[in-house]
Amino acid sequence: MQERTFPGTLDALEPIRKFVSEAAEAAGMDRSAIYNLCLAVDEIATNVVLHGYEEAGLSGEMSVSAAVGPENLVIRLLDHGKPYDPNYHDTPSGDDLSRPLEEREIGGLGILLALDGVDDLQYEVTDRGNEHRFFVQLKKSSR
Amino acid sequence: MALEMSSSVQGVKALLTLSGELDGSSAPAVRETVDRLLSSSPSHLVLSVEKLSFMASAGLRILIFAKQKQPSLKIYFVKPQETVVETLKKTGFYQGVYITDSENIDEAAG
Repeated sequence: MQERTFPGTLDALEPIRKFVSEAAEAAGMDRSAIYNLCLAVDEIATNVVLHGYEEAGLSGEMSVSAAVGPENLVIRLLDHGKPYDPNYHDTPSGDDLSRPLEEREIGGLGILLALDGVDDLQYEVTDRGNEHRFFVQLKKSSR
Repeated sequence: MALEMSSSVQGVKALLTLSGELDGSSAPAVRETVDRLLSSSPSHLVLSVEKLSFMASAGLRILIFAKQKQPSLKIYFVKPQETVVETLKKTGFYQGVYITDSENIDEAAG
C-alpha cells in the first residue's frame, strides 16, 4: 500500500489526481476508468477542502492511500475536517438533470460525478479521521 | 498540468481557449474571465477545449453561471475530449451546449 499526505488546500488537487492516476495505472485500469476515478477523488477532495476545512474555519491535511487487491483497487482519503457524508448529500434527480442550464442548481454535481465514477464509495468517521473509500473493480482481462 | 487560457471577443462571439486541467483550484480564474467576456453581451461563448484534459464539476458550475447571467447565450464546445463529453452527458449538460469541430461556428452549427 502506498500513502501520501497533502495539505488540505485546493492546490493539492492536482498532485492528488497524479497520485491516484499512477496507482490506477499500476493496477492495470484502462484510461477511461482512471479518469473517472481521478474525477471522483478530485470532487470529494474539493468538498473536503471547501466544506470540511475552509467553510468550517478549520485547516489540516489530507492523506491518500492506494491498495490493490486481487479484485479491486481501493483509494482511501483521510481528513480531519468537519465530517461530510457524500451518500447523504442531495444529488440532482433525473428531472433536475433535464432542466435548462440557467435553471440548474449548482450543488450536488460533484457528488453525482463522484458516485458515478467508482463502483462503490464508502464513508466512515473513524478515530483516525473522516475516511472516504473509493472502490473500483479490476477487470481480469486488464491485469 | 496547470490550466492555461486565452480569450478574445470577435463581434458577437467570445472565444475562450482552455488547455490543461480545469478543477476547483483553477475554476475561479476561468469564471472571472467568463464574467469579463460576458460584459460585452456576446451571443456565442465558444470554448476551444481540444487540449482540456480534465474538467471537474467546478467547470460545469461556470456554465451555469454564464447561462444565468445571460440566458440567451449559446455555449459551444469545440473539439472536446471524450472524457469531457462523458461528464457533460452524465450531468445533463450535453443538451444545453453545442458540440462542434470548428471554432468557426457560423459554418459549423449556426
